[in-house]
Amino acid sequence: MNGAHAKLAVRGLTKYYDDLEVLSGIDVDIAEGEFVSIVGPSGCGKTTFLRIVDGLEPYDTGSVSIDGRTVTKPGPDRAFVFQADSLQPWRTVWSNAAIGLEIQHRMSADERTKLGDLLALVGLKGFEKYYPRQLSGGMRQRVNLARALAVHPEVLLMDEPFAALDAQTREIMQTELLRIWSAAKSTVLFITHQIDEAVYLSDRVLVFGRRPGRIQEDIRIDLPRPRAASVKRTPEFTAYVGHIWGLIESAVRESVMEETTLPV
Amino acid sequence: MPSASPSATTTLAGTATAAKPAPSASKRRRAATRRTIVRAAITIASVLGGLLIWEFIGRVVVNNSLFLATPSASLIALGDLWSKGDLQKAIAISGEEFAIGFLIAVVAGTAIGLLIAGFETLSLILTPWINGFYASPIIALAPLLILWFGVGIWSKIAVVISLVIFPMIINTETGIKQTDPQLIEAARSFGASRMQIFAMVSLPSASPYIIAGLRLGVGRGLIGVVVGELAGARGGLGYLINNASQVFNMPQLFASVIVLAAAGIMLTALFQYLERLLVPWKA
Repeated sequence: MNGAHAKLAVRGLTKYYDDLEVLSGIDVDIAEGEFVSIVGPSGCGKTTFLRIVDGLEPYDTGSVSIDGRTVTKPGPDRAFVFQADSLQPWRTVWSNAAIGLEIQHRMSADERTKLGDLLALVGLKGFEKYYPRQLSGGMRQRVNLARALAVHPEVLLMDEPFAALDAQTREIMQTELLRIWSAAKSTVLFITHQIDEAVYLSDRVLVFGRRPGRIQEDIRIDLPRPRAASVKRTPEFTAYVGHIWGLIESAVRESVMEETTLPV
Repeated sequence: MPSASPSATTTLAGTATAAKPAPSASKRRRAATRRTIVRAAITIASVLGGLLIWEFIGRVVVNNSLFLATPSASLIALGDLWSKGDLQKAIAISGEEFAIGFLIAVVAGTAIGLLIAGFETLSLILTPWINGFYASPIIALAPLLILWFGVGIWSKIAVVISLVIFPMIINTETGIKQTDPQLIEAARSFGASRMQIFAMVSLPSASPYIIAGLRLGVGRGLIGVVVGELAGARGGLGYLINNASQVFNMPQLFASVIVLAAAGIMLTALFQYLERLLVPWKA
């Protein structure tokens, strides 16, 4: 791919925490409308990378740009879906979903209508007046997603948004996400621990290695869209999952051993 | 659910509800009403029982109004004070002292708490003083405040402020500091400014703490009024208490204390109501 056409362009990105190099020479281009997942063992810097792209965290060298504009701080062209739903307990579903628009002073009659449609799209119609504590984990995560989509981000950054969900809810949310993504037409950068989730959702999967965090391999997923959940049982799908698992298995084993033997 | 599970039928066997595992909404509402009535009955029984025991001890065991006035004698004294108009006058004076002092302390305390939470240097400068004053029995300084501000209402207002302001400051600051960092991060990811984060995240998140500070302040403020008036005053409930104790008029002393207790209970209930109104997501 050519850098001139990239929606998101990352060049030689390096990030240190004190003396520890957490990200080393990240180079990647992501095209407009592409769905790209990042997988990798714990401590490979994938969340740090996503936070840098959002502008939540500074970086040391290299560059991150969206449509040629360098990222220095959060902007209305991006939105972040956090792993924890981080909803405000004092705001209703509607009001939580509207907070980005409020912060960016973009609330209007037109946006209000769109927000109503969006809440219906993510399956929250009829729950607008509920408080987060009245909702299940899956529904809170839908609000989290709606909150990010409400500002019409060109780039949607998602940090393990389904990690806290049970397996069934997760499967449903994956299919829903693909449906919503094809309607919203945004570029997505999606972090996950689940390799099958990454393969199922993505056009490309970036496999991160650790110590320091870097892109180990950039894999194009050539599975036809729209993808039904049954695609997960095809041999092509299994081959992708097997290949990626082979890449990160030893690193995951290492990080698991560290976590279980070292006092944290 | 037409078929109740076997275990449910065995445990519920013999009761009328055994056939219906899910009780109807109206039935559940009635059960809830019954629970509320039972709870209220227990509370009322406790209060009445306590008063009866007090009356019994006062009449039979102690039988000396100098050492223990009975509730009935106190109530009669209360009626006397009311009919003479002394009680209304005292309530008006004490009420004014409390209201002005409480209002100033709440507004200033909340403002200082917010400033401390927002500016670290200010926090470093003020925190040792705030903690010091909060921990020390400032009430002992009441006579000094009377000396400074005279025997009028302003010395009592000063005592009330000195007691109420510190918990307000500390609660406000704690509330702001306890804000979930993930909520701040989420607002920041939308490009929120410091002011927006404060207004849309920190302040609402701190509001339960601020309201708890108000509730805490009620009791302290009432103590402030009474102690201030005991230390030197020309009117008010503390003044009534002081007069009564000097002439060993125990029923009148108890009558004044009952008024104060009632005021405390009502104000606390008011703030509890306010809490439900302002922080409905906690309910």
